[in-house]
This record gives sequence, structure tokens and C-alpha cells, in this order.
Amino acid sequence: MKITRRTAVVGGLSTTLIGSGRLLLHADSAVAQKVEGAEIKIGVVVPVTGPAADVGKREAIGAQAAVDVINAKGGADGRPLKLYFADEGSNPQEAISAVRKVAGDDNVLVIVGPHYSSTAEATFPLGNRLKIVQVAVASSKPGVAKANRPYAFRNTLTEDKIADAVVKAAQGRYGLKRVAIISDTKDAVARSLGMAVLPAALQANNIEIVTGKDPVTFQTGDAQFTAQVTRLKSLTPDAIALGAVGPDALNIILESRKQGMSQPFLGTAPLMEGNLPERGGKAVDGTLAGSIWDVVLNDAGSIAFKDAYAVRAKTMYPGAFTQVPDYYPANAYDAVFMIRDAIVQGGVQNRPDTLELDRDRIKDYFSKMRDFRGIASRGFNEDGDGIKDVIVMEAKNGHWQPIIAA
Amino acid sequence: MLAQQIVNGFTLGSTYALIAIGYTLVLGVLKKLNLAHGELFMAGAFTGIGAASLGAPLLVSLLAGFVAAGLIAVAIERTCFYPLRHANFLSPMLSTIAFGLFLQGLATQIFGSDPSRFPVSGASFQIQFATLSISAIHIVILATAFGLMIGIDLLVNRTRWGIAVRAASDDAETAAQQGMSVSALTMTTFLVSGALAGAAGVLTTLVYSQVNPFIGIRQGLIGMVAMVIGGLGNLRGAMIGGLAIGLIETMNDAYFTAGYRDFVIFFIFFVFLVFRPQGLFPVRQER
Repeated sequence: MKITRRTAVVGGLSTTLIGSGRLLLHADSAVAQKVEGAEIKIGVVVPVTGPAADVGKREAIGAQAAVDVINAKGGADGRPLKLYFADEGSNPQEAISAVRKVAGDDNVLVIVGPHYSSTAEATFPLGNRLKIVQVAVASSKPGVAKANRPYAFRNTLTEDKIADAVVKAAQGRYGLKRVAIISDTKDAVARSLGMAVLPAALQANNIEIVTGKDPVTFQTGDAQFTAQVTRLKSLTPDAIALGAVGPDALNIILESRKQGMSQPFLGTAPLMEGNLPERGGKAVDGTLAGSIWDVVLNDAGSIAFKDAYAVRAKTMYPGAFTQVPDYYPANAYDAVFMIRDAIVQGGVQNRPDTLELDRDRIKDYFSKMRDFRGIASRGFNEDGDGIKDVIVMEAKNGHWQPIIAA
Repeated sequence: MLAQQIVNGFTLGSTYALIAIGYTLVLGVLKKLNLAHGELFMAGAFTGIGAASLGAPLLVSLLAGFVAAGLIAVAIERTCFYPLRHANFLSPMLSTIAFGLFLQGLATQIFGSDPSRFPVSGASFQIQFATLSISAIHIVILATAFGLMIGIDLLVNRTRWGIAVRAASDDAETAAQQGMSVSALTMTTFLVSGALAGAAGVLTTLVYSQVNPFIGIRQGLIGMVAMVIGGLGNLRGAMIGGLAIGLIETMNDAYFTAGYRDFVIFFIFFVFLVFRPQGLFPVRQER
């Protein structure tokens, strides 16, 4: 066949067009698609009943605050975002039903949640079977997202990274040589902190662990800690490392002061739950913890978040328990902005016939997201865990105050 | 450290004993199982915290928790037991579960799911004996708990009311023919039972600081274990059962691991149910 200039041009154009068409259809397309539909559905699976109800409500408010800000600026590619809430009831069984509901009945593109690592360990495998992305906003037990690739993401920083920064800060501040560890045996994150993360961080910084391989133990929500503190006191450590969430940590510290201990305490992000400095007063001064965001921060993004949160808190779940945002709603707020970026830049079409494809597009976009600029989020690493900056905080005069940004 | 741990164990056990006595009054004496008993503990604790937050002194907070939980117990009797007095025994028991869930939900709405606590007080007075230190609050708790236990023991075993309650429990029909109001006796028994749980709730939050709407679930179960170990219907047995559980729990946490605490306690419960269901002090020995 004689190839003329004309046939070559036509052929070339056809190849290009067909190729482009294939690209447009391909899930990994980097070419932005027109977003369609009356609304963009996002699921929010957080606890609004059960033991984690208060923090779950704050997460729901954080997510809705982000939607308010995004929709006020025209939504995602001109389409408004709409949240579909389902209560995960603070337990894995209900969390599974909630994920099934928003994924199967509401046909959402992506899910913000769940809350605990123990619930994420149940719902992440389900997300993989349903092929829908979940972005947990509190779970920080190391390895949970890694074990559930490719649809599991956590917009949180795993505790090992926070622990190292806090231990270094505590060593600098108190010159620690001998530290005792007290650990929860029930809560997934606190247990992994006390049994694995804190020992590793202390050993890495050449600090002797006076409790050896068996830390002093308790269970989440215990009403009393006298036996544990009496034992800690008998070991005369320089400081006590807490594998505990804030409310339990507060009781441990207060009990230690009652028994005459004056040593400092240190822990990681779970310590930031439950307003420890506000509730503990002078007794908890000098306690060190690590976080990725706190309400005391006043950069432009944090102020915008706090303003939007305050407006929503008045209408969604008004009350003292939801008034002040902590880092969990900040994570939820960022997660919705991350989803907005994934929709606009990841080629999501938002049509009923492209639902499965769109869910994959969000997964693919998140897998490569490394340079997001949120108030407390930078994207996800190869394990699906959040990339974030660590802020070491000190309890001082009834508030957490940042001392180091690592 | 051992002497200190024994004091810790007795303090914890005294609050368990108060719960167990309340249980045994209703189950052992009235033959009714109130599965919302743990929630009465929770309600008393929250009422005490509420009163203290409004500036009430300790005694008033304790009384508030005592009275509120007692009144809620009467409400349980009036709604879960009295209307279902001719129904199968399961019906009122299941109703109390629903009532307990209602109380948990109500407390979550009012106080939130995060733990609440007594307003932080100043440094508490400590008494030092060599390496043993006992705080004033421990003494208040031990004195109040033991005072209540002895008071209830006297009330049930030495007063006309106590004799009437036990008579109505043994044979309600005959008691009624003798002119006793079985309904009123039942209500007052619930009142006393709830008040004891409420007092235990306030005392627990006083020394151990925190309470959340779901705390009653475990406290109720522990109270039941203490009651079974002591012997159903035996008030003194319930006291000893409560103290024993407090000591076992404390020693387990101090020298073993908290992860096995419930395993140990409920294994003992299982052993008693299978091999000695009448408990350490069977009720017949008392009468």
C-alpha cells in the first residue's frame, strides 16, 4: 500500500484519537474528567453512639465543616459534595454494617472512617472486598493499613513516628535514664504503644526500661489504678511512659500524685484525647505527648477549620462535648479535602455506570498522593498511612502547648 | 508494697461489697434479678458529680447520689417488675436490661461518652505508717462503706422492716394476710438496694476519679460475682465476697497482668456456680 502524506496524517490522527479515547476510559488516566451528577456522595462512618460517641461526633462535624467550605467555593468541579452518615457504634460489628450501608445502599464514592484501629481491622478487609476506599481518621496502630492494601488509607500518623519524637524531647527536657512503662491491655492502639512502640522508642534512645519486658498493665476505662501506681512507685523510675488514652492516663497521673509520686509522664497521640491538661490541672503539668494538630495552632488553615467547625458544631451536635475540635476532626476535615482533590484531579466522572471505576480512581490517586497541603496532612505513604508533621506538646497551665515541630 | 496493696484491695472491695449487697437484697431476699443494678451505680456516680460541679460539699454529693439511685431503683421496680409480676420470670429481667440501656443512653446525652470526674480537689491529707500511706479519702470511703454495710445488716436482720421484708419474700400471700403491704416492702427494698449502688458510685468516683455511662456494665457483673461467692441472699456474705474480689483484682494487677483480671475473676465465678452455687455462706446458716 502506498502511503501518501494524506493517509499518514489521517492515520496518525486516528491513532492519536483512539489512543486518547482509551486513555480517557482507563482508570489510571491523569486527564481530568468532567464531573457529572447532581451531587457527589461521600460516606462518613464514625461512632455517634457508644463509648467513642463524643469524638465520633467531632469527626462528623469536622467532615461536614470541610464540605461546607468546599461547597461555598463551588464544590468539586462545580458539583456539591454531600455526606452520607452511618453510625459505627464504637464497635466492629456495627462498623461493618455501616460500611455496607453507605457502600451498598447509598452508593458513595469513598468513605471517611472508621474511628478505632479495632474497627478498622474489621472494616478494611471488607473495603477491599467491596473495592471502596476508607480513610480512617483516628486509627494509628502500626501496620493496620499496610495489612489491608490497596483500599485502606489512614489520614493519621502511626504512633512509632510520634513516640520517637516525644522520647527525644523528654530525654532533652528531663535527662531520662530509667523509665517505667504502664500499658493498656485492651485498647488496640494503647496496647501496641505500651507493649511495642514505646519500648522500641526508649531502647532506640538508650533509655533503660525498669519494667523490663512486662509493663505494668491495666484495661481501658478501669475505674481505679491504685495497684498499678503502687507498683510503679516501688520501681523509682525517672519518668513513666504511658501506653494509654487520655482519660485513663489522667487517672494514672492523678493517682500517682495522690501516692506522692512527682515524676513526669510521657505518651503519644492518644494522650491528647479527653482534655488531659484542662481536667488534670497542676498535677499533669510537664506531661509530654505528641500530635499532628491541636486547637492552640493559629495558622491560616487552622483558623479556617476552627471557624467552619464552630459553625457546624452549633447545628449538628451542639453541646460541651463537641465544642472544641481536637486532631481527629482536623484529620476528617483534611480527609474530605483530599477526597475533593482526588475527585477533581483523579478523573472521577461520578456517573452511576462509572461508580466502580471512580472508586478505583480515588484509590489510585491516594496511592500517589505525597504533596497535599492540608492543615495537618501531607498525603499518604506506600503503606496507606498519613504523611504528617509531628508536634511535641507539653501540658502546661491547663493546656497543651507545642514545644517542638519535628 | 504488699501492705499498701492490701489497703488498696480493701478500698476497692468495699465499693464492690456495696454493689453486691444491693444485688443480694433484691435477688436473694426478693427473688428478683435487676440487671440494671450496675446502671444504678453509674447514675449515683453521675448525680454525685453533678452535685459537686454545682458546688455541693462531699456529704451532699454523696447523699444526692444515694437518693437519686434509690429513686431510680424504685422506678425500675414500678416499671419493670410490678406490671409484670404475674409474667414469666424472664420478662421483668429483660425489661431491666432495656431500662439499663435507657439509662446509659440518657447519661450519654447529658454527660457525654467521655469519662466525667469529680472536680479536682486540692492535695488530700495522707496518713503515713512506715511505707504504708492512706489518704483521707480512702478513710472516708472505707468508713462510709463499712458504716453502710453494718447499717444495712442491722436494718435487715434486727428491725421490723427487715423481718417484714424477709417474711414477704418467703410467703407474700401470708405476709399480706398479716396486714403487710408487700408492694410497699418491695419498693422500699428496691430503694435501699439502689441507694447502696448509688453510694458505691459516688465513693468510686471520689477516689478513682472517672466514670462514663458504660461503667455500670462491669460493676454490675462484679457485684453479681461477689454476691454469688458470698452466698445468695446473705448480706454478710456479699460484703465478704465484695472485699475478696477487690483484693483478688488488686493483687492480680499488682503482681500479674491486668489482661488476665477478668479471666481470673470470672473463672472463680464459674467454679462457684458449678461446684458451690450456694456460695461461701449459704443463707440457711444465717437464719
